[in-house]
Amino acid sequence: MERVFMKLPFGVGEPTEVDATPEALIPKMVAGWTQCPPPELPEEVIEDVDR
Amino acid sequence: MSTARMQEILIGFGKGKQTDIATANLVAAIWQLKKLNAALANPKLNTEDDAEEFGKGHEFPTQTFKTSWDVSGTLEKYLSAEIAAWAMAFGLGKVVKSGTTPNFTYTCTPLFPANGDAAELPYFSFVEQIRPGAGVVADRMAVGCVVEGWTLSLGSGPGRANSKITVEFVGSGKVTEPSGITMPAATLEKLLPSASLALSINGVNYVSNKNIVSLETSWKNNVRLDGGFYPGSGFQSPADATSGAIRGRLEFGNRQGTLKFVARFENGSTELTKLKSQATGTAVISLTYDANNSLEVTWQKISFATAELGETDGLVTVSVDCLPMWDETNGIVSAVVECGVDGICQ
Repeated sequence: MERVFMKLPFGVGEPTEVDATPEALIPKMVAGWTQCPPPELPEEVIEDVDR
Repeated sequence: MSTARMQEILIGFGKGKQTDIATANLVAAIWQLKKLNAALANPKLNTEDDAEEFGKGHEFPTQTFKTSWDVSGTLEKYLSAEIAAWAMAFGLGKVVKSGTTPNFTYTCTPLFPANGDAAELPYFSFVEQIRPGAGVVADRMAVGCVVEGWTLSLGSGPGRANSKITVEFVGSGKVTEPSGITMPAATLEKLLPSASLALSINGVNYVSNKNIVSLETSWKNNVRLDGGFYPGSGFQSPADATSGAIRGRLEFGNRQGTLKFVARFENGSTELTKLKSQATGTAVISLTYDANNSLEVTWQKISFATAELGETDGLVTVSVDCLPMWDETNGIVSAVVECGVDGICQ
């Protein structure tokens, strides 16, 4: 099932994945949640690199 | 000199939303669609004069002043998945996009500032052209428009006219001439005919019982037009105080939804009973082109405000006006539209 990222009302907190169905989306949209881009993944740091 | 015919009109408008009221859609975000009504969205200049002022020795005007600009227009179209997605997203104001080509899904609800949403509706640009270029007759773009309201009308009969949408829009007053837009190719639309209707109102399936005759449902934003002119809202020509003021914002006012329908009335019909009991339920209106193109409007809680017996084509019918009400979980209304076009109100 497809999921979308949404953020809490007033932009508080981290984006949350929500099922992209009307039953899941509509109550959240009415409560003030808005769609947002997926969060950026943290940059991976590789410490042991072959030279 | 060749006569310009109304059939030459090209219209295009923002499929995507503007970044703000003053920044026009770029051509990549504009699509070309057809319409049924010939009326143009003419910019209207409001002026004042000095006739009433003393000191000039008479009562006649000697000078005029450009006060402000108004833009408004109407789109009347046969209902399609594409225009339905656009009207619901821009008209209700809040949209979540999901899916991938050829099936994008736009889930739309009204904005609720109490829960952190904006009070301004999403903006789009509206372009009208008649012979743009060297032989131009008209070429202008109204910047910063919002949907004032939409009306879906469904009737009995096989023709396209039995499934229509009318969208009213108003603008900030800002007009760019020439538009600077090279109109894209027309978008092929997937019609949502009346014969595809699925309808359930207050617990009754009006399609399976073959009783529905006609239906009309609408949404109105009652945009605060005067509130758009605030100190500093700006001018038609930036920094030119003689060019006439334009609106710096377009916010919704007290919004209103309506739903009314006519159905055959027979033994066992419950409309009059439900009127007396004020029973409540949902109203779900669905129209389909195919698995990837459809519209579903849900009034989350309605009761019957009036239900009156009458006749249609010699048959006993009941005409019902519904009252859309607020549901604590799902709000007042939602629309879920599937179509193959990406980027609507994005």
